[in-house]
Amino acid sequence: MALTLQELHQKKDEAIKQVQLRGKTKDLMVCCGTGCVAGGAFKLKDALDKEVAAKGLGDQVRVVATGCNGFCGQGPLAVVMPDETFYGWLKPENASTLIEEHIVKGTPVKKYMFVSPETKQPIPSLQDIPFFHKQMPVVLRNKGLIDPEKIDDYFARDGYQGMGLALTSMTPEQVIDQITRAGLRGRGGAGFPTGTKWKICRAEKKTPKYLIGNCDEGDPGAYMDRSLLESDPHSLVEGMTIAAYAIGAAQGYVYVRTEYPLARQRLQKAIDDARACGLLGQNILSTKFAFDLEIREGSGAFVCGEETSLIHSIEGNSPEPTQRPPFPAQVGLWGCPTIINNVETLANVPQIITRGAEWFAGIGTATSKGTKIFSLVGKINNTGLIEVPMGITLRDVVYKIGGGIPDNKQFKAVQTGGPSGGCIPSKFIDLPIDYESLKEVGSMMGSGGMIVMDEDTCMVDVSKFFIQFTNDESCGKCSACREGSEALLEVLTRISDGNGREGDVEFLEELGEAIKDASMCGLGQTLPNPVLSTIKYFKDEYVAHIAEKNCPAKVCKPLIKYYIDPDKCPGCTLCLKACPGGAVKGSNKHVHVIDQDTCTKCGECLEVCPPKVGAIVKLSGKEALYLQSLAAPVPVKEWKARRAEEKRSGVQNQ
Amino acid sequence: MSSNLIQPHPVGAALVVGGGIGGMQAALDLTGAGIKVYLSDNGPAIGGVMSQLDKTFPTNDCAMCTMAPRLVEVGRHRDIEVLTLSEVQSVRGTPGNFKVTLNRQPRYVDEKKCTGCGTCVSNCPTHNHVQPMPTPPVELEPATRETLSGIVARHKNRPGPLMPILQEVNTALNYFPEGALRYVAQETGYSVADVYRIATFYSSFSVVPRGKYVINVCMGTTCYVQGSQRLMDKVSEVLKIKEDETTPDMMFTLKGVRCIGCCGLAPALTIGSETYGKLTRQDIPDIVHKCQEVA
Repeated sequence: MALTLQELHQKKDEAIKQVQLRGKTKDLMVCCGTGCVAGGAFKLKDALDKEVAAKGLGDQVRVVATGCNGFCGQGPLAVVMPDETFYGWLKPENASTLIEEHIVKGTPVKKYMFVSPETKQPIPSLQDIPFFHKQMPVVLRNKGLIDPEKIDDYFARDGYQGMGLALTSMTPEQVIDQITRAGLRGRGGAGFPTGTKWKICRAEKKTPKYLIGNCDEGDPGAYMDRSLLESDPHSLVEGMTIAAYAIGAAQGYVYVRTEYPLARQRLQKAIDDARACGLLGQNILSTKFAFDLEIREGSGAFVCGEETSLIHSIEGNSPEPTQRPPFPAQVGLWGCPTIINNVETLANVPQIITRGAEWFAGIGTATSKGTKIFSLVGKINNTGLIEVPMGITLRDVVYKIGGGIPDNKQFKAVQTGGPSGGCIPSKFIDLPIDYESLKEVGSMMGSGGMIVMDEDTCMVDVSKFFIQFTNDESCGKCSACREGSEALLEVLTRISDGNGREGDVEFLEELGEAIKDASMCGLGQTLPNPVLSTIKYFKDEYVAHIAEKNCPAKVCKPLIKYYIDPDKCPGCTLCLKACPGGAVKGSNKHVHVIDQDTCTKCGECLEVCPPKVGAIVKLSGKEALYLQSLAAPVPVKEWKARRAEEKRSGVQNQ
Repeated sequence: MSSNLIQPHPVGAALVVGGGIGGMQAALDLTGAGIKVYLSDNGPAIGGVMSQLDKTFPTNDCAMCTMAPRLVEVGRHRDIEVLTLSEVQSVRGTPGNFKVTLNRQPRYVDEKKCTGCGTCVSNCPTHNHVQPMPTPPVELEPATRETLSGIVARHKNRPGPLMPILQEVNTALNYFPEGALRYVAQETGYSVADVYRIATFYSSFSVVPRGKYVINVCMGTTCYVQGSQRLMDKVSEVLKIKEDETTPDMMFTLKGVRCIGCCGLAPALTIGSETYGKLTRQDIPDIVHKCQEVA
């Protein structure tokens, strides 16, 4: 059944009517993104379904499994629409109370609501929660509001209207022109202007042409593409169809990571539904335009996010990058002109077509337009997925949306751009976020991971972590990246093991610059960034590791020691029982002692020691030298007496 | 070499048979002693087996770093004459006076002018593909063969069939037995080397058997700053295996993976399709026991 444009409009009206009919009923939007599913969201949904059936409320309330809501830190969560009441940290047991109180009696349940950290009061409405308040959903405008597996829900939210407009009343050149004027840039990280890329491909004479949606989201700490596919897969299908129309492609692929089964499943459903409605396939909307989509699965290789490498992976060849130029827009998949865009870039397209280039260009800064999705994670109170206009300051993101750092710890840095990016120190907290400003401070936009670090994060350890990652994922084709990452890792390991030498920091800088210059693809060209940016802003930490053998954040194992403060130890034997290596010596009512030779520094003792006792401490560098420690366990009473004696004699001496 | 250094006893020349690393070194040592050397090899080039190796036992030295200086020296040495494509037919005579007959294959290329650029190989219209040796059909257990042939048939005619095929085989068999890879190569027309290369490139593929449960501890940045290394240490301690190892009863394989995209749940791990989040070290034994009970 192929739809015409008119029928498409009718579909939308019908779908809206359906929604209006439901005006008197309530929708329970249960977030079923991967994060919440892992927390038991499907069990919650089943419990709610059962409860609704048991109370016979089927015609008054609809339980909907939506895609990622974004506020992952509160999951499993649910939003009651149209009241916009937000409930977090729900358990299946809570289902009956929720239905009984909110749906039957109509009184929202305060104890499940989000509690404001400042006023300690529950916040009833979603929009009033600071996490949502500062956001600007454009790409994720449908997140948590529609059932991602129902095409009608998408129709009701202006779905496929942009495609209708583009295919029936615009030429491909006009589409490209509109995207160019909107100033849309690639959301995969590098920020290449999308319109320009399409224009190059459009100009190529060779056919067929291909379009690839890149959802090989390999950056650790970034999951915006996954959430997008899980919450609103049709927006990608629509965006890709418009893009294919603009460049003249008849076949498209979406390359999805193997780690994202739910996203693949929902996208497949969306593709099937769109095909059934004639929105994919031959004669789309009764025009001559034909386009179809296929999902290709990755198998766990970071380098496949690089466009030439991704193409080789789809072809079934060894997925190593190849030299550019020629760019894929000229010679790509099976030697044909190919456009590869990030999933988020493509999902922006329908919005630009429906709402106009001027509207889009009105958001953001002079060079970076529109919004960007970030995954705000790490040492932050409100973990989750956020969409903010370009140019927002880090302060707004970390403190207003993110709600600050847990346990009143000190904010140290934000890591953006994954293994290709860098760490932005706290002094740049008022930095407006866009492509250029991030680059200036030595980081990059990347795909949008934003990992917040506090005082307990060791910067040497972090850069070692990233180099380990890139060293592992380097495909090994060019030696600058293969051997360079190995050498960087060796020196970083040496430093964090306490064997750093003078001149190591300078060597890291020199080598880093060399790798940047000599590598072939983006992976190698950016892999020294985490090292270079941490050296730039946190050189004192490197120096402390090398010169004083001190890890200020107390992370690097060889540089730390665990001690039991004899004045605080009540001799409860908790740490003794917990120690896997038998390094804690002592017995009941004896002051315990850690045998430093057997201690593996696992930290188990620190975890079990009750916070109000706090007898176990982690020390590093010079402070470890001055701490008084016992040679063998002593009864607590005896120790106290000895202490009192010392005090008395101390007083006498004075 | 100046004329006043003439050896007390007149010496002729020596033939070194085989141009590998040993042959080359022997040739260089002989010329050092003032002897003219003929270095013969039955292959089209000298270098032997070592030129095909990456590292060598026992020092793990880079093979090419050992080879390259000798190759260059042999190539330019005026007292060494390299005779490639040559095989010894007969040796006659006594020590000090041997006569060797070599059978030299034709090369059809003027070795003096050839720079080894390789353009002729890529441009030859008829002979530029290697004729593979005929290989016997791969033998598989009937059940495996049935699974594999089904998978291959489903994807064979798609463009770029290798990845979808390998992904399904990996899911069906949990790893790639050698026979399976050979079978896929045979059925799709790819070379075994190509298939093997793909099978070893991706981290979700394995060419060694894996445990029933693969425990993937997320080592993404978020999980890492929240202490996933300590989780990994704990799992390793409970299962008594290291990362990338499998328990002897083939129950568990322990792996560190890059971001599973559950940063809200950090630190997290997955076993099969189950995700466990917000973990502490104390949770690990329970999770492992649960799996053991199910089994």
